[in-house]
This record gives sequence, structure tokens and C-alpha cells, in this order.
Amino acid sequence: MEKYPLRRSGNISPVSPTYQSMNKKHLNGNNRATFVASPDEDMIDIQTSGPTGGGDLHRTSRLGDEDDDGVSHYSVAYSGAHESADIPGIGQYDDFHTIDWQRDIARDRMRHRYIVKKKQDSLWNLIEGAHDAWSGWLCVLLVGLFTGAVAGVIDIGASWMTDLKFGICPQAFWLNREQCCWSSNETSFEAGNCSQWLTWPEVLGQAKLGVGAYIVSYMFYIIWALLFAALSASLVRMFAPYACGSGIPEIKTILSGFIIRGYLGKWTLIIKCVGLILSVSAGLSLGKEGPMVHIACAIGNIFSYLFPKYGRNEAKKREILSASAAAGVSVAFGAPIGGVLFSLEEVSYYFPLKTLWRSFFCALIAAFILRSINPFGNEHSVLFFVEYNKPWIFFELIPFIGLGIIGGLIATVFIKANLYWCKYRKSSKLGQYPVTEVLIVTVMTAIIAYPNPYTRMNTSQLIYLLFSQCGISNSDDMCDYNRNFTNVKSEIQFAPAGPGVHRAVWLLILALILKLIMTVFTFGMKVPCGLFIPSLCLGAIVGRIVGIGMEQLAFNYPQIWLFSGECSTANDCITPGLYAMVGAAAVLGGVTRMTVSLVVIMFELTGGVRYIVPLMAAAMASKWVGDALGRQGIYDAHIALNGYPFLDSKDEFQHTSLAADVMQPKRNETLSVLTQDSMTVDDVEQLLKETEHNGYPVVVSRESQYLVGFVVRRDLNLAIANAKRMVDGICGQSLVVFTTGNAPQTLGPPPLKLKKILDMAPITITDQTPMETVVDMFRKLGLRQTLVTHNGRLLGVITKKDVLRHIKQMDNEDPNSVLFN
Amino acid sequence: MNFYSLIICLISILALAQGQSYEDKRCKCICPSISSVTNRTELKNHTSRIMYITNVPPNQCNCDGVILPRIGADIVGKEQEFCPRCDCKYENRNTTIIKVVVIIVIWVISILVIYMAFLIILDPLLNKRIKGNYQEHTNEDDEVAAGPMSHNMSVRGNVLNRVGHQQDKWKRQVKEQRKNIYDRHTMLN
Repeated sequence: MEKYPLRRSGNISPVSPTYQSMNKKHLNGNNRATFVASPDEDMIDIQTSGPTGGGDLHRTSRLGDEDDDGVSHYSVAYSGAHESADIPGIGQYDDFHTIDWQRDIARDRMRHRYIVKKKQDSLWNLIEGAHDAWSGWLCVLLVGLFTGAVAGVIDIGASWMTDLKFGICPQAFWLNREQCCWSSNETSFEAGNCSQWLTWPEVLGQAKLGVGAYIVSYMFYIIWALLFAALSASLVRMFAPYACGSGIPEIKTILSGFIIRGYLGKWTLIIKCVGLILSVSAGLSLGKEGPMVHIACAIGNIFSYLFPKYGRNEAKKREILSASAAAGVSVAFGAPIGGVLFSLEEVSYYFPLKTLWRSFFCALIAAFILRSINPFGNEHSVLFFVEYNKPWIFFELIPFIGLGIIGGLIATVFIKANLYWCKYRKSSKLGQYPVTEVLIVTVMTAIIAYPNPYTRMNTSQLIYLLFSQCGISNSDDMCDYNRNFTNVKSEIQFAPAGPGVHRAVWLLILALILKLIMTVFTFGMKVPCGLFIPSLCLGAIVGRIVGIGMEQLAFNYPQIWLFSGECSTANDCITPGLYAMVGAAAVLGGVTRMTVSLVVIMFELTGGVRYIVPLMAAAMASKWVGDALGRQGIYDAHIALNGYPFLDSKDEFQHTSLAADVMQPKRNETLSVLTQDSMTVDDVEQLLKETEHNGYPVVVSRESQYLVGFVVRRDLNLAIANAKRMVDGICGQSLVVFTTGNAPQTLGPPPLKLKKILDMAPITITDQTPMETVVDMFRKLGLRQTLVTHNGRLLGVITKKDVLRHIKQMDNEDPNSVLFN
Repeated sequence: MNFYSLIICLISILALAQGQSYEDKRCKCICPSISSVTNRTELKNHTSRIMYITNVPPNQCNCDGVILPRIGADIVGKEQEFCPRCDCKYENRNTTIIKVVVIIVIWVISILVIYMAFLIILDPLLNKRIKGNYQEHTNEDDEVAAGPMSHNMSVRGNVLNRVGHQQDKWKRQVKEQRKNIYDRHTMLN
């Protein structure tokens, strides 16, 4: 009797029990106890229902496969690349569908095994095998090279175009202001202006200073900003609507196994690069660092098509995309290790060790390329690179943690306000005027920003200014201390603040308010816009103000015991620039809820490991405050807002529901199934027409409901269409056969054999499996669907969408907001 | 277009500016004004600074190599006081890369703008005539599956037709994306 594995199945028909909740568990337990003991007659049931021996056939056919090919049934079911090549499109997915990681990885394993097996055959096959082995590294190398180059283009283009708002270098129009005055040997030092660089009033023949010149400059600033913003918004609207926004929520969703066709395409790449240059130059409160991740991923996607191993396999492609995301952050901040950690911590879903090394390599190459392009002429890949070696005193941890708390508060305010505005945009009439919205925000930003020198300048420059120490080369108001140059030993002295510092603090407070408000309205507009730079800037402003306050406190009250030890030498006591850095980390950490990667990015930016502890303290404090006040970071909040099918691995599922509560069909509905060898092509097409499921379980027979496998709707459609075209005699009356055994000899037309597209190893669970386990399986295995059985009989299906809806329902949110899948 | 005329203008400037050469290396030193050491009582001018830019090898980019040869005479005996306050930085850049990149950016933007203008203004006029033999496909993948067959069946289409076909496909995709984002607001809000 051991031969019949299905024997012990219960004789209860699949629809009779009500598997509703925990209350019924007891009852079901009783049931189970009884049917084990009860003699069951379903053996007969199978034998009568199956045409030639029911379950027995099922089993032997599997064994037969193993004998034929010398490989397990699993890989046969997935039919490697060489086999499925005859039906184009098998193994691909439709737009807005979830991928099946297990299936794709099994397909790749099969393909790999095939290549290894053929390696011995000839030299050419050996070369092919070698190419296959190194293609992953080659692909990430190309991605790294290209990402670095594109980042260089964006950096140079944006810095040139930003300065175009102020004036032009007539002798070499391609140079920005700093580059234009590069070798000007004028001994006067006047805020980066030189005779080669002409401001717009000068171009028009007016004086350089004065009221008239100011008004002309103001007008030019606004007009250029408007022109850039209008171009950016209309290019995005015209050519690639997917290029708008930051892209990180979508990249997260895609990496978790979702298909958005065209999101990482050629046009999106081009328009995102161009639009990014334009929108950064328009002086909007946005950054180019977040979209850099999207750009890098688009590059990764495009290059993966050069290697069929990755291009044709969505799960494998995501390994390349993870590495690309690392390269994106690496070029955005000149922080290769930070990029790898960002990919690991923030965006990636499936991150095996092999991908870690590839990400590392990709990030390294990209950073190296960008560094050798040297876009800012400062030997680094970011404008706001600062080298620090000042010590900090232990007591300062308290203000740093305080900065963390402030950062968390600012971040929470920002997230809440931005989300409210985005919801409003989504639901109201405002959403119908995307270009107008961009123009209005640009005009408002330009009008308010120009009078304040700190908001007028490029945000990256402002961050650089805030991060840097007050040295002799820094002539900004912020560094207007009453220093006398008598003490030879010290470059930077501890000194009372001059009137310039007071003015600067007031301007910075205004800049903080303006930036916060404008960023709320900017992030989410239909232009490429990132969030890193504005949030770094907000934090840096707060940090600098706090730092100046601390410094003056220490200067004016050196007797306080806190300062007495370190500050008695009146030298190197408190560095406001360091506070700015810590504050920037705090706000960015609060907004994105990054921790490890953020700290690494920040210390790679400053080139010193000395500040890891302050940065860690601030990032942690900010994360705690942020988590306490609002559950989600900005990216997760935007994922939720858009209803992307993202199963967050951070959240815990804490409800007590069972698989039976979640599965489809609900009570009183029937499950659409295919039978393994008793349906005709017409029946199948009818089923496909009547239902909209993305896949169908295949059972031995309708009566027994014993599971054979699972077939995906798309594959079924393609296979039937292909067979009708290619195979003679297939008509509506042909039987659709999912077995390999000899089909019953009938007089009718030849049967349609679809064994190839059948997944014979679908993941199954029982109806009493707690949802906690099911959710874990979906997360960790990356399932697309799982089949629910009861006593070995098929009962229903749980798809990722069902799980997401269930989670939403349990959290008292609208389950219909999950849109796709 | 306004922007394009500007580009033509800029390119003509480029032609004029051919002779101009820009150095790619510099040593930039910023020092306080000499008065800070020579005339200690005069404190009101203490914030003014002097900038020196020269082209020297990196190892000479310091006070001794740049500042003293120039103003050494003015601060005789005070070098030890003056020099530590100077901030010297060696920098290099590549103007060729900057030039090429900026010109590429301008070209790409202007091509995109022209193409956009074409699509907005001329395309509706051109498409009005051939609207008849253009059937709507709803699913891109069906088309991919049927691709090889239709190629065999159709009269060997010339390159132009194929480009036109690709363009139609792309336009449909963009239209779909636009619908998702701007009309239905299902994505990227």
C-alpha cells in the first residue's frame, strides 16, 4: 500500500469544512483525528476518476521523467532555456505582475546545468561556458563604467547650467563661474567673481552693481529657472512619464519582484538624465542623488539585455539591478561602501553574498570613473566633500543626540506634510495640471530664494559651505568672527561672533523654513527630483546654527565645567561644521530611516572615521524619534501611497489568521482548475475567457482534486497559440494533456501536450498554516502564489495580492488600494 | 525656439573663442592682507584677503613656492608669521571634458526639444492621413509573439516602415504611461 501516497487523504469533500478562524481549529483537529482512523475509500475514487489509474499514473510519470533525463522532475518542469525556446515568451511576465523567484531561479539552474553538461562537447561550448561564468562580472563592470560616465555628465551639465542663471563666461561658454575664473590672477578676493565671468546685467551693458543690475539679475534668474523647469516637465511628460520623481520607491518595489515595463528603459534613462540636469539647474529644492539610483538601475537593466542569462530571467536581472543601485549611490556621494550598504539596507530585497561582491565591484568601478572625470575640479566626486580632522569632546555627544532628536522631528514633519500634499495632489484637481504645478512652484521658489544668498546658491554649494570650517579661504558671513591675526600658531581661532555671523544665522533660519516648505511641495512633482540633498541641507542648516550657538556658549562662558577641560586653550574647541554634518545625517536618517549606510556615506564624505560615534548617535536618535512619531520612512510611505505590491520585510505580521481565511476562492465560490488530461482546448479557452486568474492549478480530476501542478495563464495562452500555429491537427476538440504517459487512445484529433509549461513543484501549504508562516514564505522565498491543500486535496490559492490585501485589512486600511498584480 | 537660437548664438561664441586657452592646473593660495602682519594696529581691514593663482608643480604649491617670491620683499622678517595663515590648494581639471560634456548636453536637449516640437505640431497633421490602416493593439506582448510571423507575411517592409512601427509602439507605451501617471494617478504620486 505504500505505493499509493495519496491514500491517507481524508474523505471529506473540499468544500464542506469551513476553515474560518481559530475558533474552528478545535473542530478541525477533531476531524483530522477521525479521518486518520477512518477507512477511506478515496483510493477507488482516484482509480475511477483518473483515466488509466489515477494517482498511480501521476507518480509513475514523475519517476519516468527522472529516468529519462537523469535530472530531477523539478528542472524538467521548468524546461531550460534550450527547450522553451521554441515557444517565444515563455517565462516572461506581463506588465504589473509579480515575478516568481523560485521558478526563475530554477530556470536559471537548469540553463546552467545544460551549459556545464555541454562544456565537454567542443571548444566553442567551452568558451560559451566561460563566457557564461564571467558574464555577471562583465555586466556589472559595464554598468559601473557607464554609471560613472553618466554621473559625470550630469554633474558637469548641472553645475554649468546652474551658473547659467547668473551669467556666462563669454570666452568659453561651457565653463561655469568657478571654472571661468579658474586661472584669473586677480589678487582681489570677491566672492568668486572675476572679469572673465559676466553677469547678465553686464552682458546687457549695465553696471555690475546697483539696483538696476539687481533687478535685471533677479529677472534673469526667474526666467532661466522657469525655462529649465518648463523644459524638464514637458520633456518628462512628452517622452517618458516614468522619469519623474525620485524613483527609489519604485526601484524598491521592482527589486522586490514586481514588473513595471518601461520603468528602466532607454527613454526613461535619457529623459531622467536630461530632466535631472534641467530641474536641478532650475534651482528647485531637489537633489540629483536619489534619481541617480534610478539612472544606475536603468543602465543596469539595459546592459543586462546584452547577457541573456540576466536579460531573460527576471530574478537574475534583479541581482544586476541591486549592484546598479549600489553604483548609483556610490557616484551620488562618492561613497562606494556606503552605496553597497545602501543597496543592502534600503533597496534590495534579495541580496545573496555573490550580489554583495558584485555590488562592491560595480560601486568601485563607478566611483573610480567619476573620480577620474573629476567633475568639480576638487579631486572628489561630490561637491561637498570636506576633510576633517578636528577632535570632538565627549560632552558634545549631548548636543549631537539633541540634533538627532531635532532631525527626527523635522523629518517627521516633512514626511507627514509631503504625504498629505501628495495625497491631495492624487485625489484633487491639482493632479490634472502637472506642468502648471511645476511652473508655479518654480516661480515661487525662484522669487523667494533669490533675495537670500543662502537659498540663491546651489544647494550642494550651501551644504559645502555649512560643512566646511571657517578658514582663511572662507569669506562668507558665516565666518565673520572678530579674529585678530596676532596669534601665529592658530589658523582658526576661538573668537567672538561678529555681526556677520548674527546676520548669517538669521538668514539661515529663513533658509531653513523656506527649504522645508518648498521641499514639501517639490518632492512628488512631475520632474525628476531627489530628496537626499534637500534633507541634508535642512539638517546642515540646523546643525550649523546649533554649532554656532555651542561655540559662542563655550567662548562666552569658558568657566562652565563642561568646557573647562578642553576649551581652556581657546583653540579647536567646538567646530560648527561638524555639527552641520551631524545634523545633516540626523535629518536624512529621519527621512529615509537609513542607519548603517547613512553613517558610512557620511564618513566617506568627510574622509574621517573619527566622527562615526557622533554620526551613529545622531542617526540612531533620529530613527527612534522618527519611528515613534510616524511608522514609515518617506520611501515606504510613498510605496503605501501608490499601493505598490511591496511586502515589507521589516514589518512583522502579528495576527492570528490562518491560510484558510485568506485563500481564494472564498466560501460558495468554486476554484477554477484544469485537469491533467480530460479537458479539451475549447474547455481551456473557455476557462481562460471566463476567469481572470493569472494561473491555474492542475488537478488529477475535478472529483478528486488531487494536485498535479500549476500552470501560468500567460504560458498557457502562448502555448496554445503556438501549438495552433505550429502543430497540425490541433483544434478545439483536442485534449489538453499535462502528463507524459500515453494519452488514452481516442479517435479524435491529436492531443495537445503541455507538460513543458507545467510547474510540477508548486509550493503548497495546508489550510491550517498560520498566516505568519505564509507571509514569511512569501517574503523569504519570493513566492508569487502558493496552493492551499486540505488532506492532500487542493482547496484554494493564495497569491501575493491576497496576502497584501489581508495585511492591509488587518491594519484597518483600505485593501483595494493595492492596485496591481 | 528661444533656446535653440541661444544655442546658435553660443556656438558662434565658441567659434570666436577658439584661440582662448585655459590652463588645467593651478595652485591657489589665499592669504590675509599684508597689513595684518606689517601694521598690527590697523584691525578694521582684517577680513580682506588676497588670492594668488599660479601654475606651479604640486610640491611647490605652498607659501614658500608661491607667496614669498612675489611679496617676500613686503614682509621681510615676518614670513614665519604670515605663511601659516595662507591656505594653498593644488587643483586640476580637464577643460576638454567639460567642453565636450556641455556641448553634448546642449545638443541632446536641443534635439529632444525639436523632436518634441515635431511630435506636438507636425505629427498630428501627418498622422491624420494614415490613421485608417493603423489598428490598435492593446497588448504589447501579443504583438511580440506574433512578430516573426507578421514579418514573413508582410511585404518586406523597408527600414522606414519598421522605424515607423517601432515609433508607433513606443508612442503607445508612452501614452499608457501618461495615462497611469497623469490621468489615473495610480503611480508615482
